[in-house]
Amino acid sequence: MKYRFCFLLLVLAACSKQLNENPQSQVTPQFFTTAQGFQSGLDAAYGGMRSLWGTENLFTLACIGTDEFQTGNDGTGNAVNYYSSGYTPADGKVSAIWTSCYTYINTCNGLVDNAASITGISATQKAEMVAEAKFLRANYYFVLVQFWGNVTLNLHFQAVATTAAKRDPKADVYNFIIQDLKDAIAGLPASPVQGGILPGKATAAAATHLLAKVYLTRGGSSAAATDDYQNAYTLATGLINNSGTLGLGLLPDFASINQEGNESNKEVLWTVQHTTSLAYNGSPTQNSSGQDNVLVHMWVPKYETYVPGMQRDILDGRPYIRAIPTRWLTDTVFADKTNDSRYSKTFQTVWYCNNAGGIPKWPATVPAGVDPSLAGKPKFTLGDTACYMPGVDVTDAKIAATRYLLMPPRKYNIQMGPYMKKYIDTRRPDMNAPSIRPVIVWTLGETYLIAAEAAYNIGDAPDAVKYINVVRERAAFPTGNAAAMDITAAALSQDFILDERSRELCGQMTRWLDLVRTHQLLVRVKAHNSDGRANIVPRDTLRPIPQAQMQSVTSGPAYGPMGDPLWN
Amino acid sequence: MKSLRCVCILTIYLLMGQALSAQAPPGATVHGIITAGGSPLPGVSIVVKGTTQGTTTGEDGSFRLSVARNSVLVISHTGYQVQEIKVGNSDRTVNLSLTESRSDLDQIVVVGYGTRRKSEVTGAIVSVSAKAIQDVPSANLTQALQGQAAGIDIQKSGGGSHPGQSPSILIRGSRSVKAGNGPLIVVDGIPFQGNIDDINQDDVASVEVLKDASSTAIYGSRGANGVILVTTKRGRTGQKPTVSYSGYAGFTKWLGEYPMMNGPQYLELKKWATYIGNPGVYTGPDDPNLINGSFIALAPEERQGIAIGRSTDWQKLVYRTGIMTDHQVGLQGGTDNTQYAIGAGYYHELGVYPGQGFDRYTVKLSVDQKLGNFVRLGLSSLNTFTRTKGENVNPMGQALRASPLVSPYDTTGKLINGFLPGSANQVWNPLADFLPGASVENRHRLGTFNSIYIEANLWKGLKYRFNGGAEIRSDIYGNFYGKNTTNNLGVQSTATNATTETTSYTLENLLIYDKTIAEKHKINFTGLYSYQKYSTQNTTFSYSGVLSDQAQYYNPALGFNFQATNSSDNNSLRPWALISYMGRLNYTFNDKYLLTLTMRSDGSSVLAPGNKYHLFPSAAAAWNISRERFMENAGKLSSLRVRASYGQVGNPSISPYQTLGSLTTQTYNYGSTNTTGLYPNAAPNPGLGWEYTATANAGVDFGFFANRLTGSVEFYHSYTKDMIMPVTLPPTAGIPNQILTNVGKSENKGFEIHIAADIIQAKSSHEVSWSADVNFFINRGQITQLLPTLTTTLDGKPADIADKWFVGKPIGSYYDYQRTGIWQATSADSAAAKALGQTITGTKSVIGQAKIADRNHNGVIDAGDMMVVGTPQPRWEGGTTQRIAYRNFDFTLVAFARIGGMISSTLYGGGFASTMQGNYNNVNVAYWTTQNPTNAWSAATSAQTNPPNHSTFGYFDGSFLKIRSMTLGYTVPSSFVKAMGLRTVRFYATAKDPFIFFSPYRNKYHGIDPETAGTLNLDTPASWSMLFGLNVGF
Repeated sequence: MKYRFCFLLLVLAACSKQLNENPQSQVTPQFFTTAQGFQSGLDAAYGGMRSLWGTENLFTLACIGTDEFQTGNDGTGNAVNYYSSGYTPADGKVSAIWTSCYTYINTCNGLVDNAASITGISATQKAEMVAEAKFLRANYYFVLVQFWGNVTLNLHFQAVATTAAKRDPKADVYNFIIQDLKDAIAGLPASPVQGGILPGKATAAAATHLLAKVYLTRGGSSAAATDDYQNAYTLATGLINNSGTLGLGLLPDFASINQEGNESNKEVLWTVQHTTSLAYNGSPTQNSSGQDNVLVHMWVPKYETYVPGMQRDILDGRPYIRAIPTRWLTDTVFADKTNDSRYSKTFQTVWYCNNAGGIPKWPATVPAGVDPSLAGKPKFTLGDTACYMPGVDVTDAKIAATRYLLMPPRKYNIQMGPYMKKYIDTRRPDMNAPSIRPVIVWTLGETYLIAAEAAYNIGDAPDAVKYINVVRERAAFPTGNAAAMDITAAALSQDFILDERSRELCGQMTRWLDLVRTHQLLVRVKAHNSDGRANIVPRDTLRPIPQAQMQSVTSGPAYGPMGDPLWN
Repeated sequence: MKSLRCVCILTIYLLMGQALSAQAPPGATVHGIITAGGSPLPGVSIVVKGTTQGTTTGEDGSFRLSVARNSVLVISHTGYQVQEIKVGNSDRTVNLSLTESRSDLDQIVVVGYGTRRKSEVTGAIVSVSAKAIQDVPSANLTQALQGQAAGIDIQKSGGGSHPGQSPSILIRGSRSVKAGNGPLIVVDGIPFQGNIDDINQDDVASVEVLKDASSTAIYGSRGANGVILVTTKRGRTGQKPTVSYSGYAGFTKWLGEYPMMNGPQYLELKKWATYIGNPGVYTGPDDPNLINGSFIALAPEERQGIAIGRSTDWQKLVYRTGIMTDHQVGLQGGTDNTQYAIGAGYYHELGVYPGQGFDRYTVKLSVDQKLGNFVRLGLSSLNTFTRTKGENVNPMGQALRASPLVSPYDTTGKLINGFLPGSANQVWNPLADFLPGASVENRHRLGTFNSIYIEANLWKGLKYRFNGGAEIRSDIYGNFYGKNTTNNLGVQSTATNATTETTSYTLENLLIYDKTIAEKHKINFTGLYSYQKYSTQNTTFSYSGVLSDQAQYYNPALGFNFQATNSSDNNSLRPWALISYMGRLNYTFNDKYLLTLTMRSDGSSVLAPGNKYHLFPSAAAAWNISRERFMENAGKLSSLRVRASYGQVGNPSISPYQTLGSLTTQTYNYGSTNTTGLYPNAAPNPGLGWEYTATANAGVDFGFFANRLTGSVEFYHSYTKDMIMPVTLPPTAGIPNQILTNVGKSENKGFEIHIAADIIQAKSSHEVSWSADVNFFINRGQITQLLPTLTTTLDGKPADIADKWFVGKPIGSYYDYQRTGIWQATSADSAAAKALGQTITGTKSVIGQAKIADRNHNGVIDAGDMMVVGTPQPRWEGGTTQRIAYRNFDFTLVAFARIGGMISSTLYGGGFASTMQGNYNNVNVAYWTTQNPTNAWSAATSAQTNPPNHSTFGYFDGSFLKIRSMTLGYTVPSSFVKAMGLRTVRFYATAKDPFIFFSPYRNKYHGIDPETAGTLNLDTPASWSMLFGLNVGF
């Protein structure tokens, strides 16, 4: 009996406070309004650039399907390369770029919107950080407006879920970009190579270059303003003229611009960073996915299976062979392989035997011209040439009698051909690993070409030639005849400028956009790209609004066509 | 009828440990020994019919009772058939052998917050006895339950057979696409947060599975996927201390090899692949230039292999014979006031691949104590320590792709610790992982689960009970893979450390009121207030380039490139709390009409403020028809009752913080300055709530031939609403993660039959007895509503193509193209293919490849031609246990079947074993060639990484009947045993998982085992075991 009632006291009182959540391990959107959150948001906005430069997505949309590159052996599944019927708004590469841009634009918007109310950061520092955010935001929007034209313009941070969206005229988008870049130029440090600026950081020099390019691009679009080319010219030539004081300048040797380990050279205005510290490099598992820099793999041909005596190694790379150069690029654009050093500095044309076990033997009956005593003996030894592409035709007899694989241009195929080597990375941890090299986005070399293109469009060809010739003369280094590289105003044309951009910048995530800007995409794909020439139609000067976007706008007006006679 | 009721009441009293004090007028004295199967049976109730007078047998099975003359004694014991003995006029000796009852309606069933007699149960509950569990020597409790109960679908996850792996449990099908379909586990009344397989199956006294909403409504927000109640063994009143030992040991063998090509077959494949993949280059597969040309990738070692006729069976090299052993020691006993049960167990298993192993150590204790006449309290403690080795080891990626033309050893006989020749630097020697210290993976889990109760009789029929439960789990995981292993392919060593600590406590206050009014109206009310707090925290990080391989994962200071990712599981602290109020009223009229009303209110921390509470109501009724007067002469029909229930329960699908929105990390660097940024990836979601499932259930329980044949049939229809569906935001919203909304609906309906029969009853132990349990069940599930904003349809009904959810189809349906054959090299097929826009020349030619039906007749093969090609939902499932005994021998067979239902096999329809490219070894199929114009398999071609529409080759009928176990036991005669000073001794031999029948996948396509929950992955093959065991009672 004595135990009977005391147990009623065990009834526990729990109040509703027990049901409140205190998320210690999860960072919620409120964090963005703190000084700590402000810094981390800016770092993320920079990091988001890795979703663009360095990925197969941007590489595919900007490099393949142009006059420069077409589909390689392992890219044949990508309908976008061909402009074929399988290329639809559902294309994953198209939507990946679209999505990344908007995700990080929202991050930038959060920074710009919250800046005023954030305490704990000095006004100077805050202003500089806002300028960085605007530089990044302008970059993201510039990618969007170039690929898609009329796109959604989010001016402010969106913290809550919405299923509504509308498209805005590209004129508004351009205006927004231009204002952002003007603000950025005003607020950013001047030069990437002065004042201890960290690699990859936004600078006024980079913003100036970008703004020049934005004006140049808008000048070629239906949203053009009358002074666009003039503004582009003023900005580009201004940057060139100031380059000395900014510590910037063209390198004497074209090869050293893209040389491994030299990505912070004085010609480089802005890079998207990668690092030897693998935990910070890209995808968590470094498996060439997500935000890894995979440009190192994209052009690597199938040397390991195609070339006897070769096996995979870190120097020659991992054969993704998504793209091969068009014959127009290797044979016509780079026709001058004597004075212009850029072909040999852009393409790898020789492979050295690295697999003793795979060295072929001369047959019992040796081909004509081969010493009969060599019959049955190995054709070459470790370290010897295993494959060579002379760039000119040779006879079949010569091929048969050559101890290594001799490949004249007529033998180039989707498995094996000249290899675009700007992204070679020998310091990767493994032959299959993604690159640890920063991706060079804007260079002063391109500033010269922008200045030239702007001058040409203004109508001042002689002035344009001045800027082009600087770049061309440099290309003669070290053994070419620099004077022979010079062109005259009479020789200058839009086509020449485009060809010169190829020689200088091929493979650098800009070609498709260059062709659209100059209205040459259809013309040149039809002329030089055997994959796409039969399929390309006018709507292909824009990328399709991703199906994911169209379908997920489920409230408000549909995300439909906006005056575009093209895709949408 | 009256006597039966008395027995029932008595049984309840006995279960509560209430000893009876009998005051009977003098008459005759009856004494004797009650036995079962030759052994004395303690705790048997002997009651004078029509009274409450009686006794129970002692440890030696003996009893003594003085009764009035001409009394009738009712002798009953849970799990045995009730017998009646007429006493007569004089003293008498009654030695009786009780027969096991296959289904006793007076069996006590655990129902959650209490127990009920089976005849009083109004919901759909299935009970699995300790004996049934122990009939199947198993690695874990879930495996032991497989095939034992209707409506419970237990399958190996992904077909994996790693030691220590837990199968998946589905009760009455899948109802949720996002929120999970796993049931709630309750152990000794307290919600159990660990894995059900952390419970030693030898400590289990019974398992009850609550299936309908009326039964699970007492668990409110957590009842939607069914509830599994596990009751552990406890000591009994008046039980002398008894010690028991049971154990077994045996070996485990792989059930088969994946059907890969041998050397010559592989070479032939290479030739065909190269010939077809390079159109116009070769004259045919026998062109000598093929071997000598530059297109065929043949390493020198492969050429040598061809020359010497080498054909390496890589699987033979990686498999080994595994071990399975189990030892259990138990001690049980009790006096009137104190009862106890102690158990200790050790289970050890080595898998069929080196590096895989599992050990489990368990200690269990329970004590019940009576304090005075009104208070009881008790404690139960379950402690488990497990060690899993190599849980992710999967040698198949390398072993199946390795060229059979090469040897794992180099010319000097040394193991190749690197890429195998002829693999394009993709296939690492799988044997390299076996080198000491090369590959290490350990998981140590320690769990302690403790519950106490205090029960006090406050007033007449009013009882208060406090339940407290506390659970602490630690899970320490580490792995290390050396540079030269299949994991790291010569790049650099990697290591991972993960630590999880989980704590949970539950406090429950119950008021129970029992009252019988005017003899016929029985009222039982249970009121509950409970609070549960759960918290789990995890730290996970990985690193690479470990300075000293010897350090493995034990010293992170020796590593570089640290990475820690933040997700809902990793590097997080996730607490939640649940406050619940529950009331349940049971009303019984004259034992004929029964009514149960339940209401539970749950308040949860994971829901947004203002949204936290929800009410879960249910009602159930039953009618014991056989107690009606008109049924007294029902002949062979000995019992009959009908039941019906309806209620609503929830699925607690939302993780902590999920309504708050989140930022996620983004790494970056500025030169050598590394940063981790944060950006918004999930929007706040204050409107998110639980999924709700309402179930209507109707059941019939019946017994024939004096209950020698009993069974039940259940019909149910469940409706799930507010099903959590992800909404993809437009990318322009700037927030990449999907947001969850409560919009979908699904339904499940089905029926279940369970039959138990004593087919042959032995009159004495010298005769054959045969009893059987059979269950059979059908479930049909379908999604009935998706996001209203969906614009895509399939056959006119809304369809979420991206997620493969289709209105009118079950969850998990396979959506693919319909393959009607292979495009043949005929002019008719060429023309037809061309007309459909297919390429018929060059490297992309479809000739020899899958012929896809133009389902929507639009003249091209496009995404619009895809369809639901099948569903994993079986036509029916069932299981059976057959027990045959003769003299001292017993034989038990447990089997289960899953008939119909499609499986998707990565052996054929994806993955790395069927690329048909000729680069790597391939599954051995009679592929298409010009000489073999089959319609079954596509041609080999080196020009494509995988056959076009590869996945269409991977669908198979998943039917099978599996012999789960066959056990032959021999019980040593008791005279013999007694002489040795023992109580019982039994030897047995068990073949575990020995046979699979009626499996087209296994029989026709040489797959190993079709059992899988979802896709059948390429992993450690299924195994079978031969075990030899011993049970001893001291």
